Amino acid sequence: MERRDFFKKAIVVAGSAAVGSSTIEAAETVHPIDNRKVSDIAFPEKRPLITYSDRPPLLESPREVFTSALTPNDLFFVRWHMPMIPNYINPNTFFISINGLVEKEIKVSLKELKTEFKQLELTAVLQCGGNNRTAFKPTAGGIQWGVGAMGCAKWKGVRLKDVLKKAGLKKEAVWIGFNGEDKAVYSETANFVRELKLEHLNDDILLAYEMNGEDLPYLNGYPLRLIIPGVYSDSWIKMISNITATKEKQQLHFMEKAYRIPDNECECETPENLVKKTKPIEEMNVNSIIGYPVTGTKVKNDSSLVVRGVAFDGGHGIKKVQVSIDGGNIWEDAQLDDGSAGKYAYRAFTHAFKPKNSGKQTIMCKATNEKGKEQPFAKDIQWNHGGYKYNGIDEVTVEVV
Amino acid sequence: MKKLLLATLILVSPLFAQVEGGITVPYIDFPMKEGKGMYSTRGKCNMCHSWGYTLNQGLQSKKFWREKVMKMIVVFKAPIKTQKDIDTVVNYLFENYGNGELE
Repeated sequence: MERRDFFKKAIVVAGSAAVGSSTIEAAETVHPIDNRKVSDIAFPEKRPLITYSDRPPLLESPREVFTSALTPNDLFFVRWHMPMIPNYINPNTFFISINGLVEKEIKVSLKELKTEFKQLELTAVLQCGGNNRTAFKPTAGGIQWGVGAMGCAKWKGVRLKDVLKKAGLKKEAVWIGFNGEDKAVYSETANFVRELKLEHLNDDILLAYEMNGEDLPYLNGYPLRLIIPGVYSDSWIKMISNITATKEKQQLHFMEKAYRIPDNECECETPENLVKKTKPIEEMNVNSIIGYPVTGTKVKNDSSLVVRGVAFDGGHGIKKVQVSIDGGNIWEDAQLDDGSAGKYAYRAFTHAFKPKNSGKQTIMCKATNEKGKEQPFAKDIQWNHGGYKYNGIDEVTVEVV
Repeated sequence: MKKLLLATLILVSPLFAQVEGGITVPYIDFPMKEGKGMYSTRGKCNMCHSWGYTLNQGLQSKKFWREKVMKMIVVFKAPIKTQKDIDTVVNYLFENYGNGELE
């Protein structure tokens, strides 16, 4: 299918959300839907964003955000699982409980977190595992995200390790479960609990109360959330208020069923033949995106066009970003920022060129990480039932006039 | 005295939230397509979540919608009690948000 045709098939419905293309035959992976408009209604502490749901809030950042190495808080995407989110939290009475297999069950207030533990800052990308899900054909289950279910922020908080140490984990503890303050409508519905195996605990995992120098926005988890750099955001619990250490893994829908991919080399399957053995989505694939220009931008023939975007991976670091203006035959190195924000952060890139001739001009970008992994073309990405981990080479089409 | 006052101030100095008094999440209307079973489906699904959460799953097969409805019942305890109610919701979803494929 031609990209332009694909755009035409995207349907924008009232309420500013959209449904996916109706292509049903098993087909090549395409570029994710890219032409959705932001809503005319802004959510609290946010500018208007692409709006998929209000209960729970599901908000996507528009592509233009990805020119900047840090995503502003009011443009940062939002994804909750449970619809009942406290609309007020008193920072002076809020605390987080640490319990289960610990020497001493403790409650730690926000103030204690800010004063009694070592304070750390870390810049890290937060990306939904289903970001770009609309690329997968046939339509994979889950919210039909375009390109903007991700962002990068400078987080400030304390090490999870230090807080656990204060409670003293018992030797038998193997798993730690995290729960936030969001709830389902029915009390019988299980909470959105996620677990981390203790062997995966490291110094970079934070309980963060600040995002880009401000309080976390409510919709991004005020007053405290978990930061697990390098992995998709399914376990970055928001409004986190409880941590329980256990010996056995709890049987949880969101651990056993959701956010899992085929446990094979290609992490792929077909709709007719779903792979039974699955694994968590975990480490983020190398990825990059163009924030400017966007598809439909008109640029003057022979004028200097500076392409801007961001690149990142699961923490190995970005080696290079390349740009192609001939459909992916010739690739030129883009200029990368100095990387001082660290290995979990966006690397901002720029690439200047002068468009020649008039008409459509495609611009693609491709990142390669320090491990030598590079982004594949969209069409070479194979399907998985949850539509996870898409990292196809990005593409925009401008009009040269 | 001054010192004592200062010490007291430090001890009790509250944390200030950026947003005073909390937030209000706006209501957004996600219109449902008119069709047989719409009212029943609205009652069963929209009690717990926005219609946007449903329609933004994309156009899907009958099998997909049936599995979603069963997941809502089994995992999330949705109060859809009878087989007739299940079928009504599944049929409405497939007829209005289906991709034409049974599986």
